[in-house]
Amino acid sequence: MSVFLLQRLGQALVAIFGVMTLVFFIQRLTGDPTYLLVPETATQADIEAMRRTLGLDQPLVVQYANYLWDMLRFDFGTSYVQNVPVIDIIASRLPYTLQLAAGALFVAFVIGLPVGLALALWREKTAAKLLMGVVLGAQSMPTFWSGILMIMVFGVWLGWLPPSGSGSFAHMIMPSIALGLLSMATYARIARSALLDEMSKDYVRSARARGVGTGRLVRKHLIRNSLIPVISISALEISQLLAGAVIVETVFAWPGLGQLTVQSVQSRDFVVVQGIVLLGALVTISVNLLADILYSVVDPRIRKGGRA
Amino acid sequence: MKRKSLAARVALPVVLSLGVALTAIAPAHAKEQLTVDLVNEPSSLDPHQQWNPDSYYVYRNIFDNMVTRDNDGQIVPQIATEWERLSDTEVVFTIRDDVTFHDGTPLTAEDVVYTVKRITDPEFGSPQLGQFNKIVNAEVTGDNQVTLTTDGAYPALMAQLVKLSIVPKHIASTMTSAEFNEAPVGSGPYVFENWDRGVSVTVIKNEEYWGDMGPFETVVFRGVPDAATRVADLQAGAADLVVTLNTDLAQQVESGGKGKVLTVNTERVAYFALNSALAPLDQPDLRKAIGYAIDREGIVEGLLGGYPQVVDQMLSPAHFGWAEGIEGFEYDPDKARELIAGLETAPEMEMGLATSPVFDQRVVQAIQQMLTDVGLNVAINTTDMATWLKDQQTSPEQAPMLTFSRWSCACQDPDGIMYPLLHSSSNWSRVTDTEIDALLDEARSELDEEKRADLYAQINRKAVENADILPLYQAAIIYGAADSLEWQPTSNESLFLNRMSWAE
Repeated sequence: MSVFLLQRLGQALVAIFGVMTLVFFIQRLTGDPTYLLVPETATQADIEAMRRTLGLDQPLVVQYANYLWDMLRFDFGTSYVQNVPVIDIIASRLPYTLQLAAGALFVAFVIGLPVGLALALWREKTAAKLLMGVVLGAQSMPTFWSGILMIMVFGVWLGWLPPSGSGSFAHMIMPSIALGLLSMATYARIARSALLDEMSKDYVRSARARGVGTGRLVRKHLIRNSLIPVISISALEISQLLAGAVIVETVFAWPGLGQLTVQSVQSRDFVVVQGIVLLGALVTISVNLLADILYSVVDPRIRKGGRA
Repeated sequence: MKRKSLAARVALPVVLSLGVALTAIAPAHAKEQLTVDLVNEPSSLDPHQQWNPDSYYVYRNIFDNMVTRDNDGQIVPQIATEWERLSDTEVVFTIRDDVTFHDGTPLTAEDVVYTVKRITDPEFGSPQLGQFNKIVNAEVTGDNQVTLTTDGAYPALMAQLVKLSIVPKHIASTMTSAEFNEAPVGSGPYVFENWDRGVSVTVIKNEEYWGDMGPFETVVFRGVPDAATRVADLQAGAADLVVTLNTDLAQQVESGGKGKVLTVNTERVAYFALNSALAPLDQPDLRKAIGYAIDREGIVEGLLGGYPQVVDQMLSPAHFGWAEGIEGFEYDPDKARELIAGLETAPEMEMGLATSPVFDQRVVQAIQQMLTDVGLNVAINTTDMATWLKDQQTSPEQAPMLTFSRWSCACQDPDGIMYPLLHSSSNWSRVTDTEIDALLDEARSELDEEKRADLYAQINRKAVENADILPLYQAAIIYGAADSLEWQPTSNESLFLNRMSWAE
């Protein structure tokens, strides 16, 4: 067990190191941020002075070594543009993204599951076909469009919800729905197929033969059993949500990490982008590591390298 | 039983949150508060650091400047009440004696001297260094008097001092720029209250302000990156003033029945640069042909909603030195074709037109089409902004053949736009003309305003004659505002809150 754990941990560290190295060099391939930081009227001397201030005048290898050394000491650097420690910037944005992801997951779950259930139970009926159309529609609408549409309807015409920004529960509703719609469709489809899968099993047939009604069957057996694939897809969905947040946060002026990513990439604020990517990598890798460990606890075959 | 308790557990938080939601919407619009939607939150509130509109929209209300421009664009006193030229290189300023910083400390000549030294200190690394590094010395030379010494005669000094925000020595000198940025203290009409990172900056009215008092108790600046969302905020009443709209969104505001469009022609001059160092553009007739081929009226009226104004010189009426009677190239595609037909070397090769998504691509594509119409072969090369900037700031031999761009020195002085774009020593310039160089150098140190204006007029005439660079139009900036907000935007793209008011 401990050997397996160490192996996994080692792999995780290598992956993180790889991500850090990649993001460091890819960003520098895109060019020099100095030109964006100085006014247009800056002379060549001004540009060079700025480059020196940022440490970008040094050879790439030296910059890279400095970066790794800083990382070892958990020094994430200072934003080129904002002149504020990256850790502070990310810390101020992270709670918003977590809130939004939670809201979106809630929307996806609460709408997606019943929809999936209905799709499975009414699979022969016209209602299910209509519902499937709605689900497909929700999945296909790009968020930059559905978001603006919602803002126009609920923010401007009806005036029920604040059109953008953050600060109250009301502010959360539209971005959560916009972000949750995509995952909602995924949940509905997964729940539907899992339920159909369960329904074709022998125990369901015997239960029906014993005279167990559909309602009781669904409540007592089918939902629980079909939840397993739904839960395992959630881990994947969380990273999907973080990616989708980039657009939703921009449309709704939601001050989370997604918006910060767009701003930082646009202004070539290398240090901030490095911080965000590292955070994303840490989250993804730890979730996967956790999943691996949990699987191995549950399933001895994985623990023993498939030799059981 | 079990299910019931679950329902009860869910019900309470939902009801509570709905309650919060409703109370959050209700008082959205109290008149004491002005809400401004910027594109992004400010990069910095230390006025000597990062220099972009989203930052100075905010901090120009927290800090006073050495001098300022009134709504007509004239330079008028602010912290300096009067100034007198002692010699070609020395100007003595009298500093107001009734100004206090927000912490109650009086603003003195020492603070002004400290401010100049801070922003011109290469170690400090201000991005604005290039705007002030002609000032080589600042010292207190009497009661409330500061003398600035420039490196040679420097007629643009006053135009630059419009942007010099005075910081308090006793605070700024004791902390790093990053710390000052967190809690900026100035002497302006609004006091920094709070910066909710990523969300908004709040400022409150300075009740002790020496000048025109701000009309709003509280002002909140929010970052709203999506322009369509900014318009929705305006129409929903969640914002009172929104910045940076394009002409489509301006029409949406005008036809939406709520909110109005405020627009002003800025000091940004849109131009088309022709790289005369590279064949085939080294032929003046080809450059002139391009001048005749571009339908500037068509671009302004057809694409830009008629807001900008066509210009024939590398200046705008918002600049010092704007000369009447300089005529550029009238749109005449037949004449363009004629000139091209008469060229020694036929321009068959593909000419690259460098651009970046920052620029209005409709204009870029229209220009490409107009040049294709007269028989030229133009390819649009799009790069990101940083690459575009890098490609521009190089020697003419390496620079793109054609460039559409807009230029502002934020100083409303011709030196700030014509020197970088026309002087052969500048990275940006595609022009190598010793006569123009000499005239630019002379104008740069000519203190007599009339003579100086005449020099720039001469340069502009020469530039038209040779089609060295093609001025297109004076760019407009479009704001959306609540119907009840009274405000006259100015060419220098500042949001001075104490020049706004609510309509009665």
